Amino acid sequence: MKQLTEITTPFGEVASAKTLPGSELGWLQQLRDKARAQFERHGLPAKKVEDWKYTSLWSLSQEGFSHDANAVSLDKTELAHVAALEDAYRFVIIDGRFSAELSELEDLEEGLSIKPLAEGLDNAQSMLGEQIDLEKPGLNAINTMLMQDGLVLQVQAGKTISKPVELLVISTAENQKLASHLRNLIQVEADAEVTLLEHYVSLADTEGFTNVVTEVKLDEKATLNHFKLQHESLAHYHIATLASKQAAGSNWHTNNISLGGKLARNDIHSQLLGEESHVTLDGLYLVTGDQHVDNHTRIDHAVPNTTSDEVYKGVLDGNSHAVFNGKVNVHKDAQKTDSSQSNKNLLLSRSCEIDTKPELEIYADDVKCAHGSTVGQIDEQHLFFLRARGLDETAARSLLTYAFAVDVLQRIKSAPMRQALSNVIEKRLPKGA
Amino acid sequence: MLEIKNLHASVEGKEILRGINMTVNPGEVHAIMGPNGAGKSTLSNVLAGRDGYEVTQGEVIYKGENLLELEPEERAQRGVFLAFQYPVEIPGVSNIYLLKAALNAVRKYQGLDEVDAIDFLNLVRDRMKLVKMDEQFLHRNVNEGFSGGEKKRNEILQMAVLEPALAILDETDSGLDIDALRVVAEGVSALRAEDRSIVMITHYQRLLDHIVPDFVHVLSEGKIVKSGDKELAKELEKSGYSWVHDAPEGQTA
Ligand SMILES: Nc1ncnc2c1ncn2[C@@H]1O[C@H](COP(=O)(O)OP(=O)(O)OP(=O)(O)O)[C@@H](O)[C@H]1O
Ligand SMILES: [Mg+2]
Repeated sequence: MKQLTEITTPFGEVASAKTLPGSELGWLQQLRDKARAQFERHGLPAKKVEDWKYTSLWSLSQEGFSHDANAVSLDKTELAHVAALEDAYRFVIIDGRFSAELSELEDLEEGLSIKPLAEGLDNAQSMLGEQIDLEKPGLNAINTMLMQDGLVLQVQAGKTISKPVELLVISTAENQKLASHLRNLIQVEADAEVTLLEHYVSLADTEGFTNVVTEVKLDEKATLNHFKLQHESLAHYHIATLASKQAAGSNWHTNNISLGGKLARNDIHSQLLGEESHVTLDGLYLVTGDQHVDNHTRIDHAVPNTTSDEVYKGVLDGNSHAVFNGKVNVHKDAQKTDSSQSNKNLLLSRSCEIDTKPELEIYADDVKCAHGSTVGQIDEQHLFFLRARGLDETAARSLLTYAFAVDVLQRIKSAPMRQALSNVIEKRLPKGA
Repeated sequence: MLEIKNLHASVEGKEILRGINMTVNPGEVHAIMGPNGAGKSTLSNVLAGRDGYEVTQGEVIYKGENLLELEPEERAQRGVFLAFQYPVEIPGVSNIYLLKAALNAVRKYQGLDEVDAIDFLNLVRDRMKLVKMDEQFLHRNVNEGFSGGEKKRNEILQMAVLEPALAILDETDSGLDIDALRVVAEGVSALRAEDRSIVMITHYQRLLDHIVPDFVHVLSEGKIVKSGDKELAKELEKSGYSWVHDAPEGQTA
């Protein structure tokens, strides 16, 4: 049954016309065909689908994106300016294509392997598509049928990688209305650890569409410190799935920062499949003007003794609209689950809108689950305190707004990462004092 | 320094201050005592410029200016400092950031450049010694997770860094243990100066043993019902407030 006749797109035709990486791999071809069949049946999700109630893909479906990019390059100094981390391995994708020339991947530490998708596919059969649900309403099917590039990162068992990795995805003005379908595969083997920043950025007011799926697999006692900074232009669409499967004793710390975009949607799924595994699922969204950001998170506590800690904060201004939906699912027998979730929103204008909803489903009886969400304005007592210390009202308001936002970054353990991300936030929300 | 004349103020239509008269000269220390709910914090909030209070009569002159016409930050920049009875926690703003922003706001008003980073650090370190605070507090968020006593010390630290001309301390001694009380009192005493006036609101004689006031006032039901010297505080400690209520009006400073 075709549910979404009202939304039609040319994505299916693109899939027939293009030669995509891995076309020689039978298993991959089968997967792409399956994805295509799924997409042909369901199309893009419409607003009557519960998970897409507040986010309309209508305008995206009408944009007529291109899938062919002219090759572009970038000055190294300009690149350094765009990057968030100074001392990092850098994997650069520019207008949808990996650029070896712009990347900095020399002298990788022992145990770290980084490849572009096309080279990583040969060994990806056991990993690719395993963390996500192809049938879930959303863009996983489109991504699977059209994925053309991305980062394949692997850390060998027992290795702790000291330098962080920055995946820098740049949209330039050279290729307007370009759709990029990216797939990242991150595997951290047993007892290994790595830090990754996914960084999406536009140069100038480029119109475009980034559709990315990042799959994370953490083996026993592996640790991934993961950050996402989405900072694309106000004419950009960004739709992402980030999904992990975690084995026993593993740790996933993720912090998802959304600053840019006309429309940004993140579906984040943490699957705690081994005992003593832990996830910290933090996020921050700062939206203004006509921006729309939607974060749907889901944590599955599938076995006993797992923990999750989630803090999402948002600052809304102008006519912006933000959506937060946080599901926590404690499976039957997942005893001793300890889960806490909070979503706090600061509204700076009268015409912005927030829809926030925690959803707990608990099928075990010996669990600790706390959740809460707040929506509010700047605290008058805080404001008066700062003014009574001499800060003028505008400066005091800016400082409190910055402080509200940056609070969630204080949970980041690595000082250079915290600093880099705080700097980005400060550019957007000047402290004002 | 400060002249309060026949000040009446109400909150949500309810009159709380009912004709306060008080003159504070440079270098003087005044103590205000009085029962719970008398209007002591209301008076300090009105002086600091908090929203929500309506001044219905009277005036307040500070250094020749009409204080009540100024915004809270303008009062602070001109040297009025209120140490809060209940200091607020401000997540995301570090103590050191607050101190620097506050000091620079005062300096800007005085036509001075922003404070030099090293001078600032030296100043803050010096003032932290005065209130015996550990340096780790500088990098913590303002009052976040501080104990009651630590919050009060933090207020005095801010005062010590800002060097106000008029400090109003609202129950800075409440909730302090005996040692902390001595530290805070010594800190405040050290800040006593010829060109600085201090108004201390307190319930206890103990503080006044450390910082001997020039004047003691009793505020009750929105009025100053009695004024005297340090002996008045001792009298109150012994006999409570009931006897002052019967005192004839007009014995105000
Ligand atoms: N915002 C407000 N709304 C309603 N009533 C208020 C408000 N602020 C003060 N009041 C009332 O005004 C009166 C005086 O309060 P205030 O805080 O000034 O007393 P205080 O003398 O400082 O008492 P304490 O010794 O307990 O600190 C009280 O009855 C209080 O309930
Ligand atoms: Mg009080």
